[in-house]
Amino acid sequence: MSAGYVETETFIREEVAQLTGQAVGTITGDTVLVGTGRVLDSADLVMLLLSVEEFARDSLGARFDWTSDSAMSEARSILRSVGSLARHLTELPAET
Amino acid sequence: MDTVVVTGASRGLGRFCADELHSRGYRVVGLGRTPPRDAAFETRAVDVSDSKSVAAAVHDLRRDASVYALINAAGIASMNLVVTTPSETVRRIIETNLLGTIFCCQQIAPALIRRGNGRIINFSTLGVPLAIKGEAIYIASKAGVEGFTRVFARELAPHGITVNAIAPGPIDTALLAKVPQDKVDAVVRQQIIPRQGTPQDVWNVVSMLLAPESSMVSGQTLHVGGA
Repeated sequence: MSAGYVETETFIREEVAQLTGQAVGTITGDTVLVGTGRVLDSADLVMLLLSVEEFARDSLGARFDWTSDSAMSEARSILRSVGSLARHLTELPAET
Repeated sequence: MDTVVVTGASRGLGRFCADELHSRGYRVVGLGRTPPRDAAFETRAVDVSDSKSVAAAVHDLRRDASVYALINAAGIASMNLVVTTPSETVRRIIETNLLGTIFCCQQIAPALIRRGNGRIINFSTLGVPLAIKGEAIYIASKAGVEGFTRVFARELAPHGITVNAIAPGPIDTALLAKVPQDKVDAVVRQQIIPRQGTPQDVWNVVSMLLAPESSMVSGQTLHVGGA
């Protein structure tokens, strides 16, 4: 069964909390991932993307290829915040 | 068993490195436009200048924890004056040598990051510091590789991955077949060690960079022959 938005956002919040050492409760859907006010450095962002790639495959049945042209061209909007990333993931088509 | 991905594995330095790695017990995945039929290692057909072709060829390796290194040895050259080099030739050289290196790094780096260590070895040329007349486009592509190597090394350092470039002088490979010997000799005379290098000389540097003891060497260009 495919995870929904809440589960997806929760997963990302927990990952961000673990990478930053912050409490999960301080990470919200509005927490910024890239650009001004970001909570992750570039190395942590890569680690988050690797985790999200696996989450998408295992829990959403979808392929999140963050090195694809389409993902890269929209990276700034997809990765703007925890919420925008969670929305993008839940909108990915399931792999057949 | 550690896996090493080698581009340009069909011939030349890529093939030499792939054969050496295979004989030393590595699993080798050799990428090439036309994979050799006589290779003892695994081969896959890919056009490194096409990002989609690269992604499709190595997709399964992105999550493969055995992937330890990427050697970007694919390259083409064309000796010509800048003003007489056709634009399509310029494009092909830049796309294969520079973009090909970048595309392969983009696809294989996630596997190394997951693993938490690894090696990326790119290929430049001694022509960059020697500024050899008639090789401007080739040298421009390789100078780009050197710049990319330095920056990518910084990006991957937090993940325990080193990124270096090897810049050989003229080596007796297919790439050099159309270059007149007097031109080769003129370049060799400019090297610090004025002897024409061999594939074995290049492999020795590859082997050194692959070793765990080289974990503090990153972002460097190593000139085989010296310049």
